[in-house]
Amino acid sequence: MDFRFDLIRDYLPFFLEGTLYTIGVSLLGILFGTILGLVIGVGKMLKNKLLAFPFNLFITFFRGTPLFVQILLIHFGLIPLVIGETNAIVAGVVALTLNASAYIAEIFRAGIQSIDRGQMEAARSLGQTHLQAMRYVILPQAVKRMIPPLGNEFIVLLKDSSLLAVITVPELMYWGRAFQGQYYKIWEPYLTAALIYLILTLSMSFILDRIEKRLATE
Amino acid sequence: MPRLCEPAFSKYITKGELFMGKLSRIGFLLMLVLAMFLAACGSDESNGSASGGDSGGKEKKELRIVTDGAYAPMEYMEGGEVVGFGIDFTKAVVAEAGYEPNIEVIGWDPIFAEIEGKTADMAVSSITINDERKQTYDFSVPYYLSTNKILVPENSDVKSGADLKGKKIAVLNGSTGQEVAEKIVGENSRDILKFADNNLAIQELLAGGADAVIADNTIVEYYTKMNPDQNLKAVEDESFADEFYGVLFPKGSDLKPEIDKAINTVLDNGKYAEIYEKWFGSQPDVETLKAQQ
Repeated sequence: MDFRFDLIRDYLPFFLEGTLYTIGVSLLGILFGTILGLVIGVGKMLKNKLLAFPFNLFITFFRGTPLFVQILLIHFGLIPLVIGETNAIVAGVVALTLNASAYIAEIFRAGIQSIDRGQMEAARSLGQTHLQAMRYVILPQAVKRMIPPLGNEFIVLLKDSSLLAVITVPELMYWGRAFQGQYYKIWEPYLTAALIYLILTLSMSFILDRIEKRLATE
Repeated sequence: MPRLCEPAFSKYITKGELFMGKLSRIGFLLMLVLAMFLAACGSDESNGSASGGDSGGKEKKELRIVTDGAYAPMEYMEGGEVVGFGIDFTKAVVAEAGYEPNIEVIGWDPIFAEIEGKTADMAVSSITINDERKQTYDFSVPYYLSTNKILVPENSDVKSGADLKGKKIAVLNGSTGQEVAEKIVGENSRDILKFADNNLAIQELLAGGADAVIADNTIVEYYTKMNPDQNLKAVEDESFADEFYGVLFPKGSDLKPEIDKAINTVLDNGKYAEIYEKWFGSQPDVETLKAQQ
């Protein structure tokens, strides 16, 4: 087997463009997913079962069905319904956001609920309101505990963005597949893509590591 | 403080134990399912080798034939079975050559990996013979004449390939439709959307994300015929060259001469025309096919 480095070199601009798209949709997915995840996580913790129900349903659906299916549903179903035509990038960001937010909601819930009840009770007894207690006592401790699972989720999301190739989001895997379709080569495009993904996930875990260290109190 | 802690601690233990009990029960169930799954796989395999052993005496070797299986009416899934013109043709040819076909649907892109890796004996999947592919694979003699056509909405003003400039074109990744599109709007153009199968490409057209699909005439015509309510039409462009489908082999396959001979027999003895008639309702142009050999 001869490994064609020259083909990879020719294709480098497309790999580069794909990498930028991968980073772009992943960052947007992480950003919106975290915001939405916080809302849904808090929603699920509502005492009123009726109010918490839609949030539960959301998590059940997006955590219980494959992302692949969700991507196709959102691209060919939801997005044309809303904006009148398909838009792969919008559909991709929406799919990643909704899927990630279901997991992130549970991470938030776990983080908040892992803080001892006594902390809230102590804060309340000092005269803080529920919101103040959350803001100044519970969340600062909870966020620290959420960093490792959130980091996990972000890395999974980055890798899952490769599934968007199926709806032609021009991200890394899309160009990898296009390379394969053009030259009928297996190793060259997919090993290159794997290497780039590895670099991306390693950089991400490095950043998360730094954040974790900075937040460490001991 | 110790008094406060103690009950909490013992509660934790009981909860923990309960949890462990549940976990091991789930674990046991998982193991059971896994064991059953493995047993099922095992028995499947033993069935396969048993039948292989039976026919071994009669020298009827089984061929692993791979196909895309999402390409009606050539090769597609009907219920749990793969059917189509290509499938009937393959069965006839393989029987003629004295083999047993084991046709497996694996998707388009994996075909090339499996054939290059020699994990499959041959592939029948409406694969157009071209020079690029010939560098890496062997082809049989041509068995089907095809050309690319443009699929557009009925109210579209596209009359030929040239009208597609600046429009979004959905294609099957790595197909000759993609090559045709590249000739119009340029290689690696952002206006070409490469999908994993033709149905997804057509879906993109229907959903408004693409202005046209370029695919083999068989697909385009079959699709418009099967879905008249979707208001699509097929546009022909004379400048799109004739294409010929061939059976794909690994480079240097010993099977090629045998299958070539069998294809010629099937072409000559009327069996080919019979299958063609069944699927397309017309007579094939066997002369043009044979002229390509």
